[in-house]
Amino acid sequence: MTSLAQYNSKNKNSTKRSINWTPYLFLAIPLVIYFMWIIAPTFYTFFLSFTNWDGIETPQVYGIDIENRSLFYNYERLLRPNEDFQLFSEDEPELFKFDRDFETAIGNNVRWLIIFITVPTTAGLGLAMIFNADMKGGRWFKISFYAPLVLSFPVIGLIWAWVYNPNPNLGLINSLLFSMGMPEDNLPGWLSDADMAIYAIIFAAVWRQVGYVMILYLAGLKNIDPTLVDAAQVDGANRWQLFRNVIFPLLAPVTTIIVVISIIDSLRSFDLVQVMTRGNNGTEVLANYMYMEAFNNYKMGFGASIAVFLFLISLVFIGFYLFRTYKEEVEY
Amino acid sequence: MSKFKSLLLVLVLLLAVSIASAQDIAYSSNQSDPEPKRVDEMVVEMWNEANPDMQVVHDQVGHEDFKQAIRAFLTADVTPDVLTWFAGNRANFFIDRGLIADFSSAWNQEGFGDAFSPGFQSLATNYLDGEGAYFLPGSYYWWAMYYRPSLFEQAGIESTPETWDEFLAACDALNEAGITPITIGTKFRWTAAGWFDYLNMRQNGPQFHLDLMLLKESYEDERVMETFARWQELFDHNCFIEDASAYSWQEAVTFMANGEAAMYLMGDFIRDEARANFPELLEDLDYFQFPVINPDVPIGEDAPTDGWFLGANSANPEGALAFIEFLGSAEVQQVFLNELGRLPTRTDVDLSGVEDPLTIRGIELVQSADQVLQFYDRDTTPEMADAGMDAMMEFWDNPEDIEEILEILEEDRVRIAEEQADSE
Repeated sequence: MTSLAQYNSKNKNSTKRSINWTPYLFLAIPLVIYFMWIIAPTFYTFFLSFTNWDGIETPQVYGIDIENRSLFYNYERLLRPNEDFQLFSEDEPELFKFDRDFETAIGNNVRWLIIFITVPTTAGLGLAMIFNADMKGGRWFKISFYAPLVLSFPVIGLIWAWVYNPNPNLGLINSLLFSMGMPEDNLPGWLSDADMAIYAIIFAAVWRQVGYVMILYLAGLKNIDPTLVDAAQVDGANRWQLFRNVIFPLLAPVTTIIVVISIIDSLRSFDLVQVMTRGNNGTEVLANYMYMEAFNNYKMGFGASIAVFLFLISLVFIGFYLFRTYKEEVEY
Repeated sequence: MSKFKSLLLVLVLLLAVSIASAQDIAYSSNQSDPEPKRVDEMVVEMWNEANPDMQVVHDQVGHEDFKQAIRAFLTADVTPDVLTWFAGNRANFFIDRGLIADFSSAWNQEGFGDAFSPGFQSLATNYLDGEGAYFLPGSYYWWAMYYRPSLFEQAGIESTPETWDEFLAACDALNEAGITPITIGTKFRWTAAGWFDYLNMRQNGPQFHLDLMLLKESYEDERVMETFARWQELFDHNCFIEDASAYSWQEAVTFMANGEAAMYLMGDFIRDEARANFPELLEDLDYFQFPVINPDVPIGEDAPTDGWFLGANSANPEGALAFIEFLGSAEVQQVFLNELGRLPTRTDVDLSGVEDPLTIRGIELVQSADQVLQFYDRDTTPEMADAGMDAMMEFWDNPEDIEEILEILEEDRVRIAEEQADSE
């Protein structure tokens, strides 16, 4: 900034090179806020991930303040590098042994990610195609698919915890199954069944996401130039060809946004897990693991190292997205 | 970044409280279940009526959330003046870090500290070195095996089990009668920790259990293995309800209320829940002492003590002290006894009015114990408690993996103990 000011004062009389300060002034406030609340905490989290901070006392850096530990102590706890590892050895083929909760959490985040970029996207697109045409009661259907979105995640978690209640007298699904004659011993345990619990939670998230994706695609469909559709129909395209070769390619920008949103949403999944199972029964996800370590166990330093991992994973996807957007901007 | 959001919220709340008036007393409380909440508010009301010029501003946080919020409360520039908390290791974490005010000057005056029974006087001090006065032990309750006498009768069980064999036989009899022997809701895990406390205390004695809690004994010890072997016997006899981890402890009371399950190992607050939501269960609810497993070891009981302490950075230290003295008075303990059945820690509270036979027996149960502990997650460190309860949940799902589970738990214990030494 100072160099800009000097530069500006030197050229005071030159109208050609004078700098318009107004935009900088307007930018300054959000930039300061952005720095204070986003950039600085991010870097502070990096720093904390090398410490044993308990949230109260001055953080002590591993390897410096605590001499008998390596600087990467928190990361070693997460990854558990295999000291006996030998390349091409059959006895010790694993480079890392991984912290168990961390391993579960990453696996669940990946499951969440895969399901989230496939299921709600496809279902939402299908619904959007159906409701884009004028039909009787279409508005009512649209609203009912969109309705879950006005509920906050904790509320959705509470509702679905009740839907999944394994008791045949209380749970919505199990009482239905029971009344249809399924014997009580065969009723699924849903959230209490470690093989099923994470999928049950993801399904609740999908239930909410579908309406969201549908609205985004509906907006995208409205923006498609009708003359292109007309032209395709005049050329004799059938409905599938129309969709495959005209509509879907034109929806590409919307699809990109939806995929990015789905990836971000699946990586930050936390609320439903916290409300429905608190990460028990094999449903741990990274954000919840981080929260429990930092706030429940008072291990802020270790929690920060999980946050850094989450950040790095997100960075891969965000970087890919930014790269693509910049490339497209150049083309314009 | 939800942690920043929640921190921000806490800070804003604190700011609002501290702006309210420097002459007010900010009281943060974790009493969120309906019945305790009512009594908590009643006590604040009593104070506010008697002290119109120094009002208590009452802030209530959900019981589980409070465990996380308290750290932000205590590290803020201006802390709440008076806070609820638990005795034991859980308070020590904050005492060690200078966040809890020492009120020994008031406590040591005649008529205050010495009015408490000796066991509770020691709870007021630092758990590890017995120095100072940091914690005001307000009231306590007992843990026991709650059951429905009518269901026992239905299953033909004539007397409550006193030994382990009798207990397993009772489970079999109940199963035979089509009643699930024991209900439990382990969604928040600590209910299972209650089982571990009692099985381990009855199998190995309370001193071994306490040493395990203080990270001094190994989880791979043969004796811990024995404790889990007893637990395994409960699984073998089909003692517990299905899908326990889907329910909170309150939800699991439903099975008892509608007659599907007969027993629940629980603190006396199970009767608060019954009073609030299942009045008909209250008519048919009794308890017995956890059966003896190994007759050679002393009897230990869990009697968690709830109480209050003062934030170190209080804006109104005099008001805070006055209010905590009020909370420790015989008058307030009488209210907790009469309204909630919580047992007084002072010796001068009038017990003659107690007619409830369950409460009278509860006092006896705790007083006759050889050693009284707090509770699993109050006796050990938060991180060890978390690892331990995870292990119990895993054992619940895959009991055959117990050796591996304990091996990992032992790794955790060694690491946590080492890290504790790091910061000292």
